[in-house]
Amino acid sequence: MGNFLRLALRQMDVQLRMRVLSLWSLGLFFTQPAIFSAVGMLLAHAAGNANPDLIYTVIGGGIMGMWSGLVFTSTFDIRADRREGTLELIVGSPTPLRRVVGFRSLLNILAGSTSMLAAVTAAVLIFDYSFAGINVPAVILSFALLLFGLWCMGIFLANLLAWSRLSGTFVDLLEMPIALLCGFMYPISVLPSWMQYISVVFPIRWSLQAMREAMRGTAANAELLSLWGISLGISLVFYLFSHWLDVKVHDHIRVTGELHSI
Amino acid sequence: MPDQKAISTNQMQKTFKTRQGFWRRTTRVTEAVRDVTFEVNKGELFGLLGPNGAGKTTSVKMLSTLLLPTSGTITILGLDILRDTTEVRKRIGFTFGGARGLYGRLTAVENLRYFAELYAMEPALTRKRIPELLELVNLLDRGNDKVETYSSGMQQRLHLARALLHDPELIFLDEPTVGIDPVGARELRATIKELKARGKTILLTTHYMAEADELCDRIAIINKGRIIAMDTPAGMKSGMTSESVINLRTSNENLTALKAILSPIDGKATILCKENTVQSEVSIRTAHPSRVIEVISPWLNTDLIQTMEMRSQTLEDVYVAIIQNEEANG
Amino acid sequence: MIRKLGQFFRLYFFQAWFSYRSLFAWSTPFSYMTSKFGFPFFSMLYFVFIGKFVGFDNPEFIVIGNILLMPSINGLYGISMTIGDERQFGAMSYLLASPAARAPLFLGRAFFHIIDGFITVLVALPIAILFFGLGFSGINLLLLALCLILLSITTTGLGFIMGTISLVSRDGWMFTNTLGQLLFILIGVNIPVDKLPAFLQPISNYLPMTRGILAARQVLDGARWLDVSGLLGGEILVGLVYILIGYTLFRLIERASMTTGSLDSI
Ligand SMILES: Nc1ncnc2c1ncn2[C@@H]1O[C@H](COP(=O)(O)OP(=O)(O)OP(=O)(O)O)[C@@H](O)[C@H]1O
Ligand SMILES: [Mg+2]
Repeated sequence: MGNFLRLALRQMDVQLRMRVLSLWSLGLFFTQPAIFSAVGMLLAHAAGNANPDLIYTVIGGGIMGMWSGLVFTSTFDIRADRREGTLELIVGSPTPLRRVVGFRSLLNILAGSTSMLAAVTAAVLIFDYSFAGINVPAVILSFALLLFGLWCMGIFLANLLAWSRLSGTFVDLLEMPIALLCGFMYPISVLPSWMQYISVVFPIRWSLQAMREAMRGTAANAELLSLWGISLGISLVFYLFSHWLDVKVHDHIRVTGELHSI
Repeated sequence: MPDQKAISTNQMQKTFKTRQGFWRRTTRVTEAVRDVTFEVNKGELFGLLGPNGAGKTTSVKMLSTLLLPTSGTITILGLDILRDTTEVRKRIGFTFGGARGLYGRLTAVENLRYFAELYAMEPALTRKRIPELLELVNLLDRGNDKVETYSSGMQQRLHLARALLHDPELIFLDEPTVGIDPVGARELRATIKELKARGKTILLTTHYMAEADELCDRIAIINKGRIIAMDTPAGMKSGMTSESVINLRTSNENLTALKAILSPIDGKATILCKENTVQSEVSIRTAHPSRVIEVISPWLNTDLIQTMEMRSQTLEDVYVAIIQNEEANG
Repeated sequence: MIRKLGQFFRLYFFQAWFSYRSLFAWSTPFSYMTSKFGFPFFSMLYFVFIGKFVGFDNPEFIVIGNILLMPSINGLYGISMTIGDERQFGAMSYLLASPAARAPLFLGRAFFHIIDGFITVLVALPIAILFFGLGFSGINLLLLALCLILLSITTTGLGFIMGTISLVSRDGWMFTNTLGQLLFILIGVNIPVDKLPAFLQPISNYLPMTRGILAARQVLDGARWLDVSGLLGGEILVGLVYILIGYTLFRLIERASMTTGSLDSI
């Protein structure tokens, strides 16, 4: 247990200093979401709509930051380790790559939460967002489930990336569509109906929906419960799938020799 | 008694398939290692030599569980690399030549701590080991500097320290002295000898024949994925009988004349001529040096022979001869 | 003279091809296409839906704007990355130490990115026009093509500036990225410039592409040569200023690096 915790802390410490604390992730966590939020606000302004919905337009930007941060750090890590030649050393050690990736993704998610924090702060300080009527415990639980869902997707993507560098392009391609389909900055109902169906496979869509309803304080408990249940269930499926993928990846990279190539 | 062997391979093979091309994807097959069978005893220092692309690194990676062999079996410290992968990993250490494989933005100490954690080392032990190892590789005073500020030789030495962290029984060193200055390389060789004296088994690859000669108990020469010679360094050298090498230098115009003079010893020596821009070098490898001297001595003070140098055969001579012989016979 | 010119062009095209290839060293057509169209396409859709949600009921405006932005993004990222990457791969010192003339070296890097950007928009725009049922009948196609070429060229100045910054700073391309994203707001891609808050509008007017994009939009609405000549002239002028700034900055930094030796240390 002590070993496990120490490994966790060391991994997260190195991850924080090597990858997360950089201007680059600053851009991902804060600049890019701020730009998207600004576009939303300015479009509202241009349309003559003085009070856009802050939960979507501003706080949604925070979710955007968490997601982009996750996609890039979780996948960039593996690529960076491959390039720096350290992936080989990690795989060659007795610690399973799965565990290393898990801890790193955890840190990425936690670091990404600062994006959420910044968005909420901006909503409160700049745009006078009020917490009236908010169902606090439900929001916290929804947010925890959102983090768990993100984490599961993160390790899934990292495994995919360890598998082959070709999937790199695929992952780059993933950032926007998922933001788009899961409705980070607008309700899903804005999408054409065929698009609404695609996002059902992502756990974060459900926890996000739960979180918003809890923020409005309007949803019935039964509805929240079912959203949480779905989110948790799909997250677990992602987790189990990554576990399975991990074994495959470990064999695959040792066949192709892609551990060390750039 | 498989337990006596640190490494034991049987017909180890590795074939890479790579895809290329933008529009039309073609698959290229590289047989990096074709058929390698050898054993290394515990406590032995075994050298793997061979030209670029011979399959040394690929072999080392298979032995250190980083690549799966396409076919053949590998047993490390009595453990099967496929079944007992984790156990093998706990007991081996490895470094690969070059500057990659370290976190540049972290210090040496932080790098070592990071890897110590991957090997599940106790913190107390880690705290004791890190200064010891930095001392061993002569980096103690730079331990708290970021690795990106290191010279490539220093990074190379840090690699060695990293490989030794968890005190492995079996160590793979792929070109450990590449990029290290002569003094540093000498120190590193001393370190390697000390490791051997402490009972470690070491598999080393290198392009420096003198190094292999000095360090290795046994040597295998590998070319195009096959072992083409395996012996002790002394055995290799004497394998070609006790030959000597006589090197002559002459101007390019006189080369033909010199060759004519050497014709009497044709059957008794191997003569290699190399024409450079200004001078030509003639290298005569022979088991009868006195006969050669007899033939050339009348010409020693003439323009035909500018310099002469005689030495006994080195491992490098043997290596070059073996590889050239291979090339000649396809 | 002729030989010298030949040399100049060889250098130019070699540079151009090298720069283009090394950036788009994608292994398959699929990865090329996704990296090229993926982000622009999906972020465009994202903006459309954000717009729809907040009551901005003009998806065409957003779609056309994002398509017109494509060559700019291409020039900005493409060029700044090729210059910035030199540093990563340590090739910059060879390049700077070579006796090659600076101007072709520098301009060469831009060439294929300009072509590539132009082709990109040439593919994307008709699709959008057909999708929204706008039809080509009222459009002066030659004039539109001119606008597009101009947009692909004027953006390169920004690319050079950002690339040069990437040369001196490890996090340079973070700045490039931020700038690239600010373009979503500032140059009339998603939001009409005259609808921006008053303090932002002057910034828009001092940026390249703002006028070009406006001109292209007007041409799509049926404008003729005379209607947009002022905008196009302004675009050329602003673009030239940025290219000049980029080139000067590059030379300055080049000179500074020779004394400090800072270029290749990442
Ligand atoms: N991941 C890989 N994919 C495809 N081919 C590979 C891969 N790794 C090595 N090869 C090929 O396998 C062959 C052997 O390479 P290897 O690296 O083992 O040579 P080496 O003996 O270590 O050479 P050097 O002395 O240059 O280090 C080479 O032809 C190389 O191109
Ligand atoms: Mg090698």
